[in-house]
Amino acid sequence: MTKFISILDEIGGTLLFLQKILGTLFKKKLKTHDVFEQIWKVTAESFFTTAMAGFFVGAIMTVQFAMQMTEFGALGYLGGLATSGTFREVGPLLIAFMLSGKVGAFTSAELGTMRVTEQIDAVRCLGADPMQEIIVPRFIGIIVSSFFLLGAGLVMSVFGGMLMGQAFAGVNFEEYLRHVPTIVNPISILNGLIKCFAFAVVLATVCTYKGFSATGGAKGVGRAVVATAVTTMICIVVMDWMTSFLAEIVLTMVRGYRS
Amino acid sequence: MIGLIAETFAGIFLPPFRRKEFIEQLHFVGNKSLVIIVFCVSFAAVVTILESSFHMKLVIQNDSMVPGFAALLILRELGAVVTALLLCSRVGAGYASEVGSMQITEQIDALKMLGIDPVNFLVVPRFLACVLGGMMLTVIANMTCIFAAMAVSESYLGYTPSMFLTSMHRFVQFKDIIFATIKGACFGGVIPLVACHFGFRCQQGAEGVGRATTNTVVVASIAIIVIDFILSYTFSHLY
Repeated sequence: MTKFISILDEIGGTLLFLQKILGTLFKKKLKTHDVFEQIWKVTAESFFTTAMAGFFVGAIMTVQFAMQMTEFGALGYLGGLATSGTFREVGPLLIAFMLSGKVGAFTSAELGTMRVTEQIDAVRCLGADPMQEIIVPRFIGIIVSSFFLLGAGLVMSVFGGMLMGQAFAGVNFEEYLRHVPTIVNPISILNGLIKCFAFAVVLATVCTYKGFSATGGAKGVGRAVVATAVTTMICIVVMDWMTSFLAEIVLTMVRGYRS
Repeated sequence: MIGLIAETFAGIFLPPFRRKEFIEQLHFVGNKSLVIIVFCVSFAAVVTILESSFHMKLVIQNDSMVPGFAALLILRELGAVVTALLLCSRVGAGYASEVGSMQITEQIDALKMLGIDPVNFLVVPRFLACVLGGMMLTVIANMTCIFAAMAVSESYLGYTPSMFLTSMHRFVQFKDIIFATIKGACFGGVIPLVACHFGFRCQQGAEGVGRATTNTVVVASIAIIVIDFILSYTFSHLY
């Protein structure tokens, strides 16, 4: 029972923190310089990781689909299907996992270190608002840079899929890419982008909150990082489900019939 | 890294085998991660069903093959990979911060002073527990995932469980679950090795522990995806 209450406590704390962030974001002046610095830092740090992850994700998807497609004799659709699956679903999800490991853990470690070494209190003593100076730039930085990283990962996933299609299924590049425009429609890409945005907001909120509320020396920082990694993973999977479901409902409303 | 792997594999066969520690770690890996993994994997299964039905309708205009296809995707990829990534974030980060804290409080040097090999003392029980736990959790996650997919396909697409199972029977073989278990074991083995490698090389101060944990999660995730690719490619020749 106490565990359940503590979980509710965490959720409430995170939501209140998000409210604080948004309040600071809309009421106070944005530190543009810091925001750009954070965007650059996050993108540069995780670029290689996400690109590599994307490459292998595309390759895996192609291998799995190729086995099925050869059975049905529909190898022409291989590229379109693998790319569509990656763009809509697997790409955003896995890139969010990567980001939660890299950016989330890094940010919470950094903020936790600041908290433990009393740098955040120092900022407050100097008369500045720590939310405005430290948290909000990181929050926006993570959200904006996640789109760049998603783009990089998806482009690399197409390359990985092309190479694997050639090596594994004997589909040449042109044939692989032929059905991509017919299957990947703008709605799919929009779906992926909305998913990415939702994941980024969750990730940014959770990792800043956990880092900001770390206590107890070096061990506390370690604890905060572990808690961040676990919580973001769970939240990302749940958000994935919610966005899929909501997209389905919205599309049904728009079309007027259930697909 | 290579040295640590070699020492670990040697340490498996060298006495003393720390049975109690092994059981404790297995409890941490298996029991305490079970709820989280089952919860997340069910959601992932729901999303898989939705997405695969969408794609089926695009290509062959109906979704008669969705159950079999989703079951196949779950058994071959999703169950093992999602389980491994969750384990990586939970167990890997936990081990890294634990071993890192031991390193900066000089407990590992104390072990060496007492003539105890830290690899045999710390890494081997964790490695064995993670391999075993990864296998078990992968099987449980696959079963949960298929169950959730069955429930969703009934409520959302209108397939009864019997139809689902029949469709599954056409697509999935017993080989798949064996391969999934092998995948789970490999992924589980990677996590403690990476975590302890970064934990042993942890630097002083609060920043060091944070950095060790971050590096662990990133490297282990990348390693899991790469190993998944290699294993998928290998297994695809065995069907």
